[in-house]
Amino acid sequence: MHQWLIRMLKHVDVRILYAFTAIFIIPVCLAVNPSRGIAYRYFRKRHGYGRIKSAWLTYSNHCGFAQVVIDRFAMYAGKRFEVEVEGYDTFQALAESPDGFIQMSAHIGNYEIAGYTLRAEKKRFNALVFAGEKESVMENRRKMFSSTNVSMIAIRSDMGHLFEINEALAKGETVSMPADRLLGSDKCVELQFLGATAKFPYGPFAIATMRGLKAIAVNVVKTGLRRYKIIVTALPYDSSAPRREQIASLSRSYVSELQRVVSLYPTQWYNYFEFWK
Amino acid sequence: MEMNDIIEELKASIIEALNLEEMTPADIDASAPLFGDDGLGLDSIDALEIIVLLEKNYGIRLANAGEGKKIFTSVENIARYVCENRTK
Repeated sequence: MHQWLIRMLKHVDVRILYAFTAIFIIPVCLAVNPSRGIAYRYFRKRHGYGRIKSAWLTYSNHCGFAQVVIDRFAMYAGKRFEVEVEGYDTFQALAESPDGFIQMSAHIGNYEIAGYTLRAEKKRFNALVFAGEKESVMENRRKMFSSTNVSMIAIRSDMGHLFEINEALAKGETVSMPADRLLGSDKCVELQFLGATAKFPYGPFAIATMRGLKAIAVNVVKTGLRRYKIIVTALPYDSSAPRREQIASLSRSYVSELQRVVSLYPTQWYNYFEFWK
Repeated sequence: MEMNDIIEELKASIIEALNLEEMTPADIDASAPLFGDDGLGLDSIDALEIIVLLEKNYGIRLANAGEGKKIFTSVENIARYVCENRTK
């Protein structure tokens, strides 16, 4: 299915697939998938929108998700997008420093675009990924990144990924990890996010503060048909404070930035589970 | 440094690094498993904390998961490894 989609996207305009999914696929998904209720409640309760607006944005949000998935495969098919970077200086300063740093992502917009655009010439970029990704997706990523200094660290049950993360950071490389979902560990920090308490993974904040490393949030949002915007923001914390306070302070910085970006682009929130349970 | 001293030092470092403030070194059974429900109940992030702790405090850099699996069975086992491999 994935290979077939990539072959097709080499010849077909993405707009045709956008329209096809919006008319034929999304209505069926909304009819059968629990993501409908989850997205609707997100717009109603977290953004306070009315019923009709929330219903329309639920549809729009699902169409947007379909579009970023199509764009991802379009990238594998060799298509390119216009990308604007906000906060490039922040990224560049860290990329040129000898120390490693942590890049925190979230399931909004299309983060994978960042891997193709934000590259540090002198540093290897290591992306922590879920080992359960379809092999065809991983294979395409490997092909796309084979000529670059980007590598994937898959979360494994034997904890091998921890050694890879540690090694990468000790060598002054970049490690990118999602900071909005619990992956590989149930440890979490609970913080106010969009007006209610939500659980965020403890891992990314613990890993950054273990070595007192700098951290940035990188969020990638779709701003046009073939246009994306990468938003890079420094996440300040006092690395001389007691460890517990460092973790609390860094996680607050991250969630505050996530809330800022999600408030600007509310329809690009793609966490289809009960985030505020 | 004696093996028993390293065990006590490790227990204190683990409590501090993992924020186990409700515990004292005496609460940790040196021979109990670190992971899983039978012992301390640590998880993967805690393992990474211990990897960094060994590097910072004893100059020990563990190379791979296989090595870690053999060592991270109990505080006693980690202490034995520290005795044999520490560089500081």
